[in-house]
Amino acid sequence: MKAPAPLRSSIERDLKPARPLARPGVRALAVVPLAAAIVVGVPALHAFRADVAVIGFLRAWGFSIGQAVAGCTIVALALRESVPGRGLSRLALAATVVVGLALPLVVLLLTTSNFSVGAVDHAAWEGFVCFRTSALAAVPALLFAAALAARALPLRPAAAGALYGLGTGLMSDAGLRLYCDYSTLGHMVFGHVGAVAGVTVAGAALATFIQWIRE
Amino acid sequence: VNSDEDLCAMMAGYLAGEIEAFDALYAALAARLRGYFVSLCHDAAVADDLLQETFMRLHRSRRTYQPGRPVLPWVFAIARHVFLMHRRATARRLRAHGELAEELQRANAASAAPAVPADRDELRRALRGVPPAQRQALLMHHVGDHSFAEIAEQLDLRPNAAKTRAFRGIQRMRELLKG
Repeated sequence: MKAPAPLRSSIERDLKPARPLARPGVRALAVVPLAAAIVVGVPALHAFRADVAVIGFLRAWGFSIGQAVAGCTIVALALRESVPGRGLSRLALAATVVVGLALPLVVLLLTTSNFSVGAVDHAAWEGFVCFRTSALAAVPALLFAAALAARALPLRPAAAGALYGLGTGLMSDAGLRLYCDYSTLGHMVFGHVGAVAGVTVAGAALATFIQWIRE
Repeated sequence: VNSDEDLCAMMAGYLAGEIEAFDALYAALAARLRGYFVSLCHDAAVADDLLQETFMRLHRSRRTYQPGRPVLPWVFAIARHVFLMHRRATARRLRAHGELAEELQRANAASAAPAVPADRDELRRALRGVPPAQRQALLMHHVGDHSFAEIAEQLDLRPNAAKTRAFRGIQRMRELLKG
């Protein structure tokens, strides 16, 4: 079977050597400096949590670095999802989102020595401050990851966007937890997990918007 | 049937900018892709269009192929996407056609409606010239859509009297509109 002449000639006119994109895991390494900047930058710009000496270096920095690495890994999955034929199964996608959203709570359980720390008078406001700080800190990494994914061809843009949103949300929460020592469940669910979920939704919306512009 | 290694070699040539590699790739994949599209849309002409569109997409996205990885999952993922985009565009077009057809139907119905005197004020003036008893029966029947039996019951008349009043009211209006 031969290619029709109009198709062949239009391809021949445009045919130049093309350098393939690097593997998703390698491309995701480009996000690492941003992740490091977020983890260090959020507590540096605000303040370190009051109990940082009590919980120790490993539980403070170690778990934040671990969470940021998990975020980078999820961004790598998003970049893999953006390559045709390498999309995640629905089960893997759902499991990644569930595990990603549960991660800040798991880290809290592993690191907190006192579970009653939290604002009593201004709980809603404090929750909002954490939500806002986390969501804003995620924006540069979110935009960068969106640009990386858009260079490939995400066939399910909402899925790819949700994944890089989740990854960058986890990175920013990894920085936030070095600043915020509140450990009440309501604060954690709204201010921390809620922010990660919000960035996940924002990522899905952003990727869908980019796809809409491209189409 | 080409092996994965053959297809990978063709893709490597294609990425290097060799048109012969594109020809070989087309020869290796076109029949399979066409069969895939025919099985999805049951229309040979549409399948041919989708086949061309798929190769254009493959060309534009060839950088996303990762050398050494199987070619077929990459190709068929793009082909499926092309089909889904086509299906979405068709549904959108059909919806737009449906809305247009409805609009035309409404316009036709409006143009087929009985002629209305150009001047509504003229109609109102003529109606005012009809004696009140006749006007009431006329309006109840022609505007309110009541039967003569219902009008008779409400106005305490015999049905024939109601019919006569409405009829005379219409006659009077015609005279006034002519005159």
